Parts: sequence; structure tokens; C-alpha cells
Amino acid sequence: MQILDLKQSYFELFGLDLTFEIDLKRLSSAQQRLQAVYHPDRFVNASEQDKRLSVQQASWINEAFETLSKPVKRARYMLELSGLELNDESETTSDTAFLMEQIALREEIEECRTNADPLGCCDRIMDKLRSKADQFGSEFITNFAQGQLDDARISSRKMQFIQRILEQLIDFQLELEEG
Amino acid sequence: MALLQISEPGQSTAPHQHRYSAGIDLGTTNSLVASVRSGQAVILADINGEALLPSIVHYGTDRKLVGKAAQEMQLVDPLNSISSVKRLMGRGIEDVKQLGDVMPYIFITDKTSNVPRIQTATGNISAIEVSAEILKTLVLQAEQSLGDNLAGVVITVPAYFDDAQRQATRDAAKLANLNVFRLLNEPTAAAVAYGLDQKHDGVIAVYDLGGGTFDISILRMNKGVFEVLATGGDSALGGDDMDHAIGEWILAQANFQSVDARLSRQVLIASRAAKEKLTKQDRAKITIENDEQQWQGRIDRDQFDGLIQPLVKKTLMLCRRVLRDANLSKQDISEVVMVGGSTRVPLVNQMVAEFFQRDLMSELDPDRVVAIGAAIQADVLAGNKPDSEMLLLDVLPLSLGIETMGGLSEKIISRNTPIPVTRAQEFTTYKDGQTSMSIHVVQGERELISDCRSLARFELSGFPPMTAGAARIKVSYQVDADGLMSVRAEEKKSGVAADIVVKPSYGLSDREIEKMLRDSMDYARDDISARMLIEQQVAAKRVIEAIDAALVSDGDSLLSKPEFRKIKQARDKLQKEIPTACADKLKKSIRAMEKVSETYVARRMNASVKQALTGKQIDQVKI
Repeated sequence: MQILDLKQSYFELFGLDLTFEIDLKRLSSAQQRLQAVYHPDRFVNASEQDKRLSVQQASWINEAFETLSKPVKRARYMLELSGLELNDESETTSDTAFLMEQIALREEIEECRTNADPLGCCDRIMDKLRSKADQFGSEFITNFAQGQLDDARISSRKMQFIQRILEQLIDFQLELEEG
Repeated sequence: MALLQISEPGQSTAPHQHRYSAGIDLGTTNSLVASVRSGQAVILADINGEALLPSIVHYGTDRKLVGKAAQEMQLVDPLNSISSVKRLMGRGIEDVKQLGDVMPYIFITDKTSNVPRIQTATGNISAIEVSAEILKTLVLQAEQSLGDNLAGVVITVPAYFDDAQRQATRDAAKLANLNVFRLLNEPTAAAVAYGLDQKHDGVIAVYDLGGGTFDISILRMNKGVFEVLATGGDSALGGDDMDHAIGEWILAQANFQSVDARLSRQVLIASRAAKEKLTKQDRAKITIENDEQQWQGRIDRDQFDGLIQPLVKKTLMLCRRVLRDANLSKQDISEVVMVGGSTRVPLVNQMVAEFFQRDLMSELDPDRVVAIGAAIQADVLAGNKPDSEMLLLDVLPLSLGIETMGGLSEKIISRNTPIPVTRAQEFTTYKDGQTSMSIHVVQGERELISDCRSLARFELSGFPPMTAGAARIKVSYQVDADGLMSVRAEEKKSGVAADIVVKPSYGLSDREIEKMLRDSMDYARDDISARMLIEQQVAAKRVIEAIDAALVSDGDSLLSKPEFRKIKQARDKLQKEIPTACADKLKKSIRAMEKVSETYVARRMNASVKQALTGKQIDQVKI
């Protein structure tokens, strides 16, 4: 069986340029082309060793796909490729204004509960969060392009915060819908 | 037999290299087997033409019955006739207690095993063994119908089955001695059966409500590729619950003095009958009658709808969740495929159509579509279609996590991650000289360990002693294409791989499986005679097919009328004997058939040689 070069970057694996603004459709079809070759279903009748290799390689392709398809993960992967060591736990933000904004957003979500139109209230916050995510995404692109890796890391961190609030909002919305 | 061996001179006699395979839908209520024959996926019926095998096994004092025969025993002997075991697969003792009113059996639990057993006249039986019996019966049915052994099978499972439930299904297949190509998710199988990849380049939803499980999957189709984007459901929600809702209603109406296992079984059977009637009629009559008590009543469609509406609402809630997971809205869905017998219920169709705001796809028989899809996948995996572009990409249905301090779950792999997948984590030791550690893996979305399902405890040992905090233990969690998890660990500095002892929370231990396999050898003799019978039945069918084909082509020209009649008589006798005669008798009749047709065979041979030689120079004839 063919053996993938596990040293290449995820971008190289999928034949994409190293940039934050990737074409998700191209990523998806490249992923399918690769899985068509390496997926364990292609090795059902192969030797035990090839079966194992196939699971390993297909796993690696999936991991690469997951990383590039999610904006926050993609940004952080790009930083790692540039040699930055990221440690989620020790990383905090000292941007007080940003932190205040976070707290305000969470309170806004909580307030939707008592709103006359709670779902509409959620939708408005959702729009706000999406535009915030876009804003930090552009910030990341600029910082990364200028080689300001520390600033780019802060942008990616902010994207991550927004992503978490977005997920909370989605859970909250489901909770409301289900009564 | 000689008749079969005649082929046109000059033509290849090498048989086409085709590996038979089958798709098996191991259902809560009924099970089916299908296979691709001459390029077409078909359901393989049993010798009596029955396609659906009731998923019931009867364990009597001196015999074991599977399917319809076991179903018939259910009323007479409910405690020894085991049904709906799919609900018990991968489940533990606590789960079984919760199913108390649903399952009328006597459960035995002992400290030596994590798997609850049901007390029967044959002995204590686990759900895995019951499933193995059903699998064996289906495979025999398939091999009988195909006339050949199966190279392997694809068994379908609900997409929402967790690791323990998948492992239990794998174990059942192991006990039944099957080569399993793949466990395939039922909604994906349905999408394959509909051939939606050919018709659509879009996103579809598969709504699968079976006897005991509910699945909702969102798939993206693209030229042969079926990519699951998200899946959700409830592995304990299905048509059975509708029966129970009616059953409770009956019990409330009838006010029986006492309800024993037999009466409650009767009520359930009457409830199911009423439900089935109500799919086509507006009302159904219910009669419960046994020696001591009786009740008669009527239920109409509105009453029934009222009873089951909460169940259907629950499925729609899960639909909403899965759309969210896939980051899609209802408008993005281009087709909704309906699967599972319970989608025959009018209220289900009505509410699902309202929810998605579109017409539903239900042209294919909802009971058969999963087995058909599995057969198509099995055929590809057997290697019969080297040019096929078909590729099924699936996801992990429930997040995997490990227990951390304070009884919390830390997610390692989140739900809807494409599989296979591997994730690694690093740990260090907290004591000097520590050489072992334990990892508790759970599955589920909740924060607290106690709210997730415990999968297994992995005891890692054998890494070299170092000072506290110096060791770097890399633990890799792998989920394979069947959705089954395994764990590996190594100390990175020394490169020493840890020894791992797996303690499954719900499954059978390797030793238990071994013992069951050994025990099943005792029954092997029964299996061998069953196999011999099937071989003779298949041989008889082949002989009949061959003689029929021969008679049509040259019977009139090569045989006198009395000769023709004699052969026809022998053929009809054999045909009649196939379903009833024992192996020895069939063998004799086949030989008799061959004897009667000997002269005919010889004449055919001559005629065919003559035809091949006619009009040819001697040097053109290959010898």
C-alpha cells in the first residue's frame, strides 16, 4: 500500500496554500480523494499489517481535515507550523476590555431568558458573535501575514473565546426550543 | 453432476470469480439478510419464502428454536422465549433493572461477569448469545439460498450505538463464527440502498425509527461518497415504546385483578396488533382473553395519536439537535429518507413532514432498505466491484472522554468527529518509582462521569520507574472504522510500551467469549447436520435448474415422450422433497434423478459435439 509522508503539513497533504482563507470545498474534495485510497474499507481483505496502516493513515487524514476545517484549530495549527508553542492551559488574555466584553455577552444571553421573544433575542446575539468571529479572523490574517506571531496568537485566542460562547448560545437555544 | 458440466465447446468453463457476501440487519423486532446476486441486491428468504426472521429465540428444555417457531412459543412459554435483545446489547445490570417492566424475563446477575443473563430452561443466556443464534440462522438461510459459503458479512447497527453496544454486536458475530467486514450504521445503509449518491449532490436526512432504536443522521452525497456530517438519536426509543403506551392504556381500561408474565405478554401482543391495524384503519378492536380474565375494547386513531405524540416529539427534538450539530438549517436538507417499520405510523409521517417542511422519501420497504444497503456495501468490501467509487465516511456518535479529578469527564474525541480517528494525550507520574496507572474511559456528552456511560478501565503497567513527574506517558485512543475504541500507551523517554489490561464495564471478557465458543462446540453437531441438509437442498435445486434448462432447450428433440415423462416425474418428486426431506433422503433422490437422466446426458453430449464439429475443418477443432 502507499505510505503517506507524515512529515508534510496538513496544507501540503490536501494541496492547499498555507493561508487562513482556505477553500472549504476544495478541502472537502481533497479529503474524499485521499480517503478513497487510504480508508480501511479499501483494505478489508488485506493483511493485518496493511489494515493497521490503513487505520493509522486514514486517522491522520481525518485529523488533518478536522484541524483545517475548524477556523480556531486552523489558526492555531498555522501558529504551531511557524514554530510557536501553544499551551492552552497557561494562556490567558490580559486584554481587560476584551474580558469585559465577554462578561457582557454572557449576561446578554442570560437576559434572553426573560425576554418576550427569547429566540429572537438569541438570534441577534448570534449575529453579533458571528461578526466578532469574522473580525478576529481578519485580525489573525493581518497579524500572521506581517509575521506578528504573538499578536496572531492573541487573535486566535479571541476567536476561541467567541467560539465557546457561540457553542453555549447554541445549547441555550436548544434548551429554549425544547421548553 | 454430469448435466451441469456440459458447456459449449470452445468456451471457457472457468467460473467467474465471485465472492459471496451478505448484509445483515440485526433488528430489535425482525432481522433480515440480503445479498448481491447478478448485480442486484436482493433479500434472501428462508426455505418457506419468509424474508423477515422474528428476532426471537426460544430456549426450551431440549431444543432451541429461532424466528417464527420461537415466536409461536412466546405465548405459551414467555419466560423461555427471548425477544428484543437488541435493547440489552452492551447494557449492564443497572440498565436491565430500569427495563424491568419492558422485559418480562428473570435476570441473573453474578459477580463474575458484567453481562446480565436471562434464566431459561437451557441455562442462563446473555443477549450476545441470543443475537449469535439469530446471526447463525440468517447466515444458514443465506448460504442455503446462494448455494455457497459467505466470504464475509456487513452487520448494521444503529448509528447511535455506543462502543459497548457495538462491541457486543461484534462479540455476537464472533460467537456465530462470522467474518465481519464492517459494522455499518443503519441510516448510512438506507442511503446506500436508495442510491442517493447517484441522484443527488446534496445533503439528506435519514429518519430511522425501528422497533427499539431511533436514529437521525445528516449525510452529504457526492458521486459515490456518503459522508456522515452528524448523527444523533436514542438507542432506547422505538416502536416497542408505542406498544407499551397502548399496553398501559389497556391495563388502565381493563383493570385486571392480577397481571402475570403471560398476561402482560398477551397485552403486548394485542397492543402491537392494534398499532399495526391503526396504520391503515381509523380504529382497532382489542381482545384479551385467557383462562381467568378477559377484556374487549376499541381504540381509535385519535386516542392512539394522543398516546404516542410525546414519543414522536422526542424524535423531532433529536432532529433539531442533529441539525445544529451539522451547523445546518431545515432548508439545507434536500431529501428526507424514512426508514424502519415504525415510520409506517401515520402520525410519525405527518409530524416529520411538518418538521422538515417537505415530502418524505419512503418508496423502498422501510423494513428491508437497511439490509439491502448493507448487502451493497458487503459486495463492494468483498472485492467484487474493483471499480466502484462507493465510499462511506462515518463519524463517532458520542464523545469519548476520560475521568479526571473530581469525577469529571475530559473530552478526548468529541462527537461527530470523522472515524477512524486517533488522539494522543500525555501524562506523567505523580509518585517516585510509579510504574502503573489506570485510565477510565467514558462515552457521552455530560460533564459528570456519573452521567456518562462507563466503557472500560485500562490498567497500564510495566513502564520503567522514574522520579515523580519525569515519565512522559503517551496514551493513544483509537476509534476504528467500526466505531470501536482501543487504547495504547508508551513511555516516551524509554520507548517502553505499557501492558494494558482492559476491564470492560459492560461487555464480555475475552475469557467469557472463549468459554462460550467452547460451549458452542457442543452444539456443533446440530450445526453440522443442519449444514449437510442445506448442502443437499442446494445440490437438489441445482440439479433441477440444470435439468429444467436442458429440457427447455432440447428435451423435445432428444427424448421420446415416455422418456421425457419419466425424467419429469423424477424431477417433480425431488422438487417436492426439498423443503421436507432429510439430508440422506435428498441425496438418494438426487442420485435417482441422475440415474434416470443418464441416457439423456449422453445424447446431449453427442449432439453438442456434433454441433461443434459441423461445418469445420478438422484442424480448426481444438482438442
